[in-house]
Amino acid sequence: MKCARCLLKLQSLRLLGQSARPAAQHGALLQPASSSQPHMLQNTQHQVLRRFHRSPTHDKDRPIPADFFDEDDKKKDKSLVTHDDLFEQVARETKTKATFNKVVEVFIKQDVRRRGHVEFIYAALQKMPEFGVEKDLAVYNKLLDVFPKEVFVPRNFIQTMFNHYPRQQECGVQLLEQMESYGIMPNVETKVLLIQIFGAKGHAVRKYQRMMYWFPRFQNTNPYPIPKYLPEDPVDLAHFSLARIADDRDAKVTVYQLPCTDITESGEEITLPHVVGIQSPSQMELLAKHNPSRPVFVEGPFPLWLRKKCVYYYVLRADPVPPEEKVEEPYDPERSLAYPLQLDLELDRDLGDEESFDVEDLDEGAVFAMCMTSQGDQAVLNQWISGLQQNNPILGRVPTLFRLEQGPRELQGGHQTVSDHRHRPDPETQREEEEVTVEEEPRRSQGMKQ
Amino acid sequence: MSLPKLARIPSARLLTSILPHQLLQPPPHPSHQHKFPFQPVNFSFSKGIEGIKKHFTLLKKEFSERLVGPEGKPLLEHLLEQNLVIWEFRGPESLEQWTVSSDQEIGGQSEALLKLGRNDNTCFLYGALRSTPPRDGETRYSGYCSMRSKKLLASFDRKKHHDWSTFNTLHLRVRGDGRPWMINIATETYFSHQKDDIYTYFLYTRGGPYWQDVKIPFSKFFLSHRGRIQDDQHPIWLDKVNTIGFTLGDKADGPFQLEIDFVGVSKDYAHTEEFAYEMYERNPKN
Repeated sequence: MKCARCLLKLQSLRLLGQSARPAAQHGALLQPASSSQPHMLQNTQHQVLRRFHRSPTHDKDRPIPADFFDEDDKKKDKSLVTHDDLFEQVARETKTKATFNKVVEVFIKQDVRRRGHVEFIYAALQKMPEFGVEKDLAVYNKLLDVFPKEVFVPRNFIQTMFNHYPRQQECGVQLLEQMESYGIMPNVETKVLLIQIFGAKGHAVRKYQRMMYWFPRFQNTNPYPIPKYLPEDPVDLAHFSLARIADDRDAKVTVYQLPCTDITESGEEITLPHVVGIQSPSQMELLAKHNPSRPVFVEGPFPLWLRKKCVYYYVLRADPVPPEEKVEEPYDPERSLAYPLQLDLELDRDLGDEESFDVEDLDEGAVFAMCMTSQGDQAVLNQWISGLQQNNPILGRVPTLFRLEQGPRELQGGHQTVSDHRHRPDPETQREEEEVTVEEEPRRSQGMKQ
Repeated sequence: MSLPKLARIPSARLLTSILPHQLLQPPPHPSHQHKFPFQPVNFSFSKGIEGIKKHFTLLKKEFSERLVGPEGKPLLEHLLEQNLVIWEFRGPESLEQWTVSSDQEIGGQSEALLKLGRNDNTCFLYGALRSTPPRDGETRYSGYCSMRSKKLLASFDRKKHHDWSTFNTLHLRVRGDGRPWMINIATETYFSHQKDDIYTYFLYTRGGPYWQDVKIPFSKFFLSHRGRIQDDQHPIWLDKVNTIGFTLGDKADGPFQLEIDFVGVSKDYAHTEEFAYEMYERNPKN
């Protein structure tokens, strides 16, 4: 995209008293493709335009479309004759789909020949995120409508061979490319428009065909799909993400605390964060079998990405059991009455029947529960642990250590602190309270998950 | 007339956005460090001796391997084995086989680092993505990072390839953070136009504290060139695989992490698909 074409500071140009878009186009074509960063050149380059067929005095009556989007010039933009005040007022205050559509309609209506439509479309493509319409297919179709129809369709084989109207084709392709980069699937209206504009063999139509071939193929390839619209409520979002990472259909999500804002006696506002935890029956069993003399750790926060949103979760886990303490429990035959869980068969397997990889199994500590909360400090996590304790009484006897990181850090470099706090037991249990010791160890090597 | 911008990109505009890292030259071989002519080259005796030792050891190993069987395994095992672990990260020397790159090569601001995970048992690729494009006037998209295996070298820096012709599935054990990655396999090519031909597929991570076993049949890998998916598709030829790589470029700014336990290939007898995409002519001439 050539910014010189896209965003023109009319103000200085008007002062100069000259403007010529065709000359600019011509000049831009001859230059090597220099810039695609409009914001970079916005302040540094002033394109001089000249009108070929009208005198400079008629400038005021002639609207130049790219300026619609240039906020600074809106006030001075006297060129819109009919929709002047209304459009400017609306555009200055709210940038919505409606105003965007309105601008496009104005451009379409003002000139049958649609002069400068290529620059207009490039500018519009660039301004889409500001107006919030970059994911809207109807807007893209409307923008495609700006192209004059049937003018660029090649009429004989020479025109087909030689990249007929290359700038317009490139513009069409860029429009489709922006659609593709936002992951929007075109529809039949797009196809009809593209064929009307560029003919069935043009680059844009070919790109459309490719999109329609590959997009449906890759749409459902994610084995862990994320819905397009994530729940806004943090508790629902936590519910969804915990169910996702638990990887167990039987896992139960419990909301230990809903987010609420309390006003204390002194008038201060205290916001209580939400605390949502998850635990599956197999995790409960593992926790019940855990040796009470070994501590359990609350680790976190670990990042979890859902499309563009990152949420953080905490994990309750134990260190791996050393080999001497491992107990091989035989399978309980009553667990599954349909088929035996353990078979003692002397099968002679051939070399070609090895079905597992020759890799030693990683022995990491068992994970007992996960939770998500907006405020990950110890007080809140203690609440989670006490909530867990209702279903897992062993937590009252097991020392719980907190291995929290100071908020989500991005890269190594910072030292991390390991704070060990003894989990204060309930008064009913008979453990003595131990002193709270805070140890600071520079832990440079551990990453997020460890 | 032709636009100067179009001249840089093949005229058949293709589907996916250009991933700039695939537009560039691959990172230079460590032995070809960027040096100016006036800077002295290290011709020391010790370096020479090390080189001799390394290459002759490799040569000796190759000869002794041939006596056991192809690729150092007995013939039956080589022909019949169903699972083969190619890379497992069990020590710091396993990290030497991988190269990490990010868009800092083109002037972006993403960072990517590689280290060993807990207990030195896994590799941990982490960093942060930033999708602000570099201000060089021509780059439009940015924000990617990748980890690519180094090319295999036999003694005296001769080319060596992975031969996975008896296998049909790629098996990975990973623990990601929910981001979608891409797996790129580069094979040995003949023509210079095919230099950036990469067979690629997606690696979707679930996130969470549990390990994830990912099995991708090789028939699902599609051909792409410099980040653009190609019209003429064909299944990957597995007899001369050079490198495998993992790329992240999902346009979500923020930290990322990926932990890999091992990368292996396996032969899945239940998988009979030869290729997942059609191979008919996409742009018929009429």
